[in-house]
Amino acid sequence: MLQYLFKRLWHTVYVIIGISVISFFFIHLSGDPVMLMLPGDASHQEIEDLRQQLGFNDPIYVQYLRFAWQALRGEFGQSLYYKIPAMQLILERLPASLELAAAAMLIALVVAVPIGIISAVRRGSLLDMGSMFGALFGLSMPHFWLGIMLIMIFSVRLGWLPTSGRGTLAHLIMPSVALGLSLMAMFARLTRSVMLEVLSLDYIRTARSKGLKERIVVSKHAFKNALIPLVTVAGMQFGFLLGGTVIIETVFAWPGVGRLVVQAIFNRDYPLVQAVVLVLAVIFVAVNFIVDMLYMYLDPQISYFEDK
Amino acid sequence: MKKWSFFTLAGFICLALAGAPAAVAASDTLVVMQEAEPVGLDLMQSSIQTTMSVCYNIHDTLFHPQEDASVLPALAEKWEKIDDLTWKITLRKDAVFHNGEPVNAAAVKFSYDRANNDALKNPHRGKLSAFTELKVIDDYTFTIKTEQPYAPGLYMLGYYLPIVPPKYIQEVGDSKYNTDPIGSGPYRLKKWVRGEEIVLEAFDKYYGPQPAYKNLIFKASPEEASRIAALLTGEAQVISGIPVHQRKKIQDSGKAYLTPQMGVMPYIGINTYEAPFDDVRIRQAINYAIDKELINKALFDGQAIICAGPISPRTFGASPNLKPYPYDPDKSRALLKEAGHPDGIQARLAYPTYMSQIQEQAEAIAANMGKAGINVTLEPFERAVMWERYKGKKHQLYIYWWDDAPEPDRYMYSLFNSKSRDYYYKNPTVDELLDKGRTIMDRTERAKVYARIDELLYQDAPWAFLYVVPEVFGVANDVDYQGRRDGFLNMRYAKPKM
Repeated sequence: MLQYLFKRLWHTVYVIIGISVISFFFIHLSGDPVMLMLPGDASHQEIEDLRQQLGFNDPIYVQYLRFAWQALRGEFGQSLYYKIPAMQLILERLPASLELAAAAMLIALVVAVPIGIISAVRRGSLLDMGSMFGALFGLSMPHFWLGIMLIMIFSVRLGWLPTSGRGTLAHLIMPSVALGLSLMAMFARLTRSVMLEVLSLDYIRTARSKGLKERIVVSKHAFKNALIPLVTVAGMQFGFLLGGTVIIETVFAWPGVGRLVVQAIFNRDYPLVQAVVLVLAVIFVAVNFIVDMLYMYLDPQISYFEDK
Repeated sequence: MKKWSFFTLAGFICLALAGAPAAVAASDTLVVMQEAEPVGLDLMQSSIQTTMSVCYNIHDTLFHPQEDASVLPALAEKWEKIDDLTWKITLRKDAVFHNGEPVNAAAVKFSYDRANNDALKNPHRGKLSAFTELKVIDDYTFTIKTEQPYAPGLYMLGYYLPIVPPKYIQEVGDSKYNTDPIGSGPYRLKKWVRGEEIVLEAFDKYYGPQPAYKNLIFKASPEEASRIAALLTGEAQVISGIPVHQRKKIQDSGKAYLTPQMGVMPYIGINTYEAPFDDVRIRQAINYAIDKELINKALFDGQAIICAGPISPRTFGASPNLKPYPYDPDKSRALLKEAGHPDGIQARLAYPTYMSQIQEQAEAIAANMGKAGINVTLEPFERAVMWERYKGKKHQLYIYWWDDAPEPDRYMYSLFNSKSRDYYYKNPTVDELLDKGRTIMDRTERAKVYARIDELLYQDAPWAFLYVVPEVFGVANDVDYQGRRDGFLNMRYAKPKM
């Protein structure tokens, strides 16, 4: 087990290094942040002085090594735009991103999985066709439009929910539903597809022929095997949700990491971009590790550890 | 569905709705929603509009600038001109900072030195560059000198020299001060939950009138539809960033009204160093080629104010003798032919994608120019790239904007004096007049100088002059607040409507 864990850790290290190198070079290729940091009438000398002070005149590999060395010591530098430690900004926003991602994932799974199962079991029925049409609709609907519509209906017209911001459970409902809808659609289609495949297998026929109730056949025998692909996709989607919800965050003024990193890119806030990318990469890798561990629980035939 | 599931779900919904905030804030609380959250709360560390808006509620300056570019007393109680270069200013004795430190001449000297400190990189330092020395005379009196007579001096001090507490800053440092400031304004910072809200509370020892609202909350919502929804539901009582096509919705709602604030003045800068734009006939041809009236009608509901020259018609010093370049594509073609381009010219027009309604404006302008024989290739750039290319002198034509401040020196000097920027145009006569304009103390005489500058630039056409689009704030019906031309949300002036 230790060997496996060590192997995974090693993989994680070089994945993180690779991501940090790629993101470092790309953000530096986007241009010079010093121009944005000084007023319009700053002289050429002032620009050069600041560039020198921030180390932007050093060769790029030197800048990267400096960043990597500091990152190893837990120092991610100060945001050029906000002028406070980059990690502080991320830690302020991360709980909001985790909250939104978790809520969207929960809504999506709670709604989509039963729909997917029922659609598979009652294939060809009106319910099946209706839910797949709904799934297509959910996948196709732009987040931006959906978000605005939800605000117009539930906040402006009905006055049931706050328009934007974060603070109470009520603030969480609309953004997580808006985000969860496309996930719902994806999970419903996936669940249906996998369930259809599993339900056609021999062991299911055997279970039915033994006289087991259909409910037990589906939930206990079939669904467990459908979980593996579902868990895989859910794990990947969770990682994407953490950094990729900038549209929802913008519409609902949700103080998450997605909007923070997009603004940082536009502002060429190198330290903040690099810190966010690293943190999200670590979380993504951790989530995938958890997913891999879950496989062992879901399917005892899967084991990463050598037999003694 | 099983009973327990139903009740669990129902309970969940009730819990969620119970947590929903009251649709309308308490009557002693004012919620203001801007497009973006401040990046910090130190006026000397940011020049971003949304940041400065919050700061002006926390910090006070020596003077309160007025809409006609004059000033009223603030921390300064009285002042006199000792000579052409020196003001003697006496502070009021009852002003204190939020932590109890006195607002005295030593604090003013500290603030002045800090504003000019190289390490701080104060973005407003250039606006105070006319001042050369500040000397403390006694606890509440000081003198401040300029190199030459400087007419907008007090106005500039009123905006760009916030008076800050020396002891507190020396204890906490600049970085902490930017997130946890102490000022001497009518509101003090209670808490800042980054990404969510900034909560200010009225400072009970403020020397001036107590603000009408005890609590002032600034929130940010980048999406305009969300901000407008917040205004209509009562979650916010004042909002900024309302595009023209959304204004009627607010007016028709019966729940809020619009109040004018800053004017946004887009313009097309022309690279006068690069052929064929080094020929004034080509530049004038560009001006004749743009149908500003049509653009105003189509994009701004007729609310934009068409500009003749570079000085906004709302700013003193705009020449009364000028009429805006009319839309005349035939005249434009004739000028192109005269300049040796009978078949027209090619041009690249750059614009920054973050500006409001910019794509529609750029496309309309390009279409207009095309009819006059100026074939335009549009170049949209995101903010950083646009600015970098601007400073690198890579644009041929470019759209940028300024705000039409009441004081002409505030933008004319920065935009046209070659000491400030000469990336695309340089005119020694204009330089001389701009230097002269800021040294004349008599307003009528100053106006004549700026009128001359306006006329010179109109003829020389280093820009294609466009229009001023008055921005507005949306204000809930139960709040009495009039926007100001500086565009800052200074909520000390807001009060409940009776």
